[in-house]
Amino acid sequence: MSEQAPPPLAGLRVLDHGHVWAGPLLGRSLSEAGAEVIKVEAPDRASGVVMGGMPARSDMDAHDPRRYHDYDRGKLGITIDLASEEGKQLYHSLIAVSDVVIENFSANVMNSLGLGYEALSEVNPRLIMASLSATGATPGPWRDLRTYGPSLAALYGIKSLLGYLDDPQPREDTADLDPTAAGHAFVAVLAALEYRDRTGRGQYIDMAQGEATMQRIAEPLMDYQMNGRVAGLQQNRYPGVAPHGIYRAAGDDRWLSIVVRDDEEWAALLRVAGEQAGDLAAPRFASLAGRLAEQDALDVSVEAWTVQHDPFELTQQLQQARVAAYPVMGPPDLAADANYDALRRTGVRMGPDAELGVDQLYHGVPWKLTRTPAEISGPSPIKGGHNDYVFRELLGLSADELAELQQQRIV
Amino acid sequence: MPERALEGLKVLELGDFISAAYAAKLLADLGAEVVKVEPPEGDSSRRHGPFPGDELHDERSGLYLFLNANKRSVTLDIAQQQGAALCRRLAQQADIVIHNLPPADLEAHGLDYETLSEDHPELVMSSITVFGYDTPYRDWTGHALTATAASGISMRIGDPGRAPLWIPYCAADFQGGIHGAAAALLALRARRSSGEGQHAWVSIVEVVGSYLAGSALPGFVFSGQLRSRAGTHMEAFYPWQVTPSADGYFEVITMVDDQWQRFVELMGQSDAPWAADERLQARWTAWQWAEEIDPHWYTWMRERTTAELTELFQENGLPFQPVNSLDVVADSDHLREREFWQQVTHAEAGEYTMLGPPYRLSETPWELRRPPPLLGEHNDEVLRSELGLGDDELAALAADGVISTGVVAS
Repeated sequence: MSEQAPPPLAGLRVLDHGHVWAGPLLGRSLSEAGAEVIKVEAPDRASGVVMGGMPARSDMDAHDPRRYHDYDRGKLGITIDLASEEGKQLYHSLIAVSDVVIENFSANVMNSLGLGYEALSEVNPRLIMASLSATGATPGPWRDLRTYGPSLAALYGIKSLLGYLDDPQPREDTADLDPTAAGHAFVAVLAALEYRDRTGRGQYIDMAQGEATMQRIAEPLMDYQMNGRVAGLQQNRYPGVAPHGIYRAAGDDRWLSIVVRDDEEWAALLRVAGEQAGDLAAPRFASLAGRLAEQDALDVSVEAWTVQHDPFELTQQLQQARVAAYPVMGPPDLAADANYDALRRTGVRMGPDAELGVDQLYHGVPWKLTRTPAEISGPSPIKGGHNDYVFRELLGLSADELAELQQQRIV
Repeated sequence: MPERALEGLKVLELGDFISAAYAAKLLADLGAEVVKVEPPEGDSSRRHGPFPGDELHDERSGLYLFLNANKRSVTLDIAQQQGAALCRRLAQQADIVIHNLPPADLEAHGLDYETLSEDHPELVMSSITVFGYDTPYRDWTGHALTATAASGISMRIGDPGRAPLWIPYCAADFQGGIHGAAAALLALRARRSSGEGQHAWVSIVEVVGSYLAGSALPGFVFSGQLRSRAGTHMEAFYPWQVTPSADGYFEVITMVDDQWQRFVELMGQSDAPWAADERLQARWTAWQWAEEIDPHWYTWMRERTTAELTELFQENGLPFQPVNSLDVVADSDHLREREFWQQVTHAEAGEYTMLGPPYRLSETPWELRRPPPLLGEHNDEVLRSELGLGDDELAALAADGVISTGVVAS
């Protein structure tokens, strides 16, 4: 192939007001696709909750940039006091040369600062603004509720599905609401860019993170709408499929996932089990209907077989027979996994982090564009670390003017 | 009528069940023209349900109806040469092919990116598979549960000593779909400057692992710290857990110190010796002593109903919320005022209520342009008008079982 084409979002500038998780992750995705993403923070406020970094290590405090590297990597960092008049003016001139604003404040924070979409689009009608609020920007009884991703997932019913069949208390998940919201918002921003390229007009994206995440539980919600049935805890089951579970394997805390969709796959599993099939070969399990009707007994019988085997070896055998199986992977397994290694590295430059002196392990970028691969363009910014570039080079302030603003704590 | 965000974009959807269909749904709902290619017996989501009254019916499956509004359906048996050839012709007219077929099947039918792009270099292909391309397990088989296990996330959900849990209802497939759609739009945008299409792919294992398992893997490599399952708790901040109330469950989570202090104050425990415990003061590390600390405040929670607690927490600005059941969510005034639920009229499924879009674009709002298609509903329209097939050819294809019969003549 000839010279590499520019990345998809080359030449676009994004102002990122993200905090905690959903917002910063959206900004990170835009950055990895080639946009210049500027993280905007208040000069006198602590950076607030930071997520996605390394677990606690004794020599790091809560605001060590290495902690939250993963979600702010590749961004530039500036500080502006958006509550002050001078700060607002400065922000307007930045808006005039930017393409996208993303924020995940509570609904109405930007409006109350006088920086809502209406005001900003007067400065720049091509501006796209994405608001990732918890419950949406339009009025409703939940609009002003306080939430974090996990409590928002509880509010929207998502947590009512995760747990064991023999105990009514839901279990904690690993909080997929924020990344689900960020992924959806990424699609919406890219679509708004297509529209802008054709029409010259920007637009406002109102995304309720709760509504975005509800999409992935559409199946039980449709069941409720159609039949009035309220789904509860699901353990590892899925309607219409058996076995569909995670089973104990030989070893300490070793487990194996198995999904068998039809009788042909079931026959293949029985061939792998061979003489060890035992109860599994019983006629009552021969048909999908039979397996669904006696799923508790089926799971017991499957586990009686899997517990005798190493999960990796059994996975190999089942996959060769075209049965969907894979061990439940823990961090040490993943660190040694050829498949995961290939995925993580494909298309991503993973170098030592020069600025921070840390040889950092990054997650790769999970969308692989074969001609225009994603890149992690740099480390996480130090707060306000790019004030010089943004205010002087981009906005043309003199050194004295910037110093003056810094003295007034506007920057 | 306002112009749609993805007006004029032509998308061909190949594959089965959720991931590719959800990716194409996102594009269709943003205005793209999506042709869904189904095998003659139909997508398996048609047979999955839920069905009204639990009666199996190809055109009434709730999962299918959710995933496929605003698309057209064409039936083609791509395992037959004629079917694959027609599918290639449809791909030649498309901007984007989005699929979740096994890579080897795609190659066997001459529908892989290399083959399709020979005569159509502008083509963008987005592949969504469990194990991805260019990986050792490319040709292994898997589903959402498989991906959840393989990603590292299941190992962190559930009780110590008990089976790890998945994220129910195929969440992993939806994650794959979201990023497959994003990858397609990114490749489309790159095409604008280069004039060339490209192959984009996502592995559902990796999407789930990198976005959802968070820092588990880097954390392990970086610090050697190994986190496993903590049941009702998340070992990150404290508290971050599902907590029983008198009549239900509450998600209790604090991320900053003053929230914890306000909570302790609200319970009237500010002066209690346990609340002064130094180990409790760091939100990042206190989870290690959860077993010891929980009993001090669980009693207070258990003495109050979910309704009482909801009010108390909101009055005090605490970000705790009840674990609502799906009926409470579906029937909430909030979603009604947001006009979230959409009414659809469908030839076979009648009137039903469907989820609205995940986001709202001010200039290019979501609209129902067409209800989910009947199986092969658009064979005639697409194969005749867009590929120029005549009556005789369509009849011959139907006779050979390449397209489904019955709908062709309508």
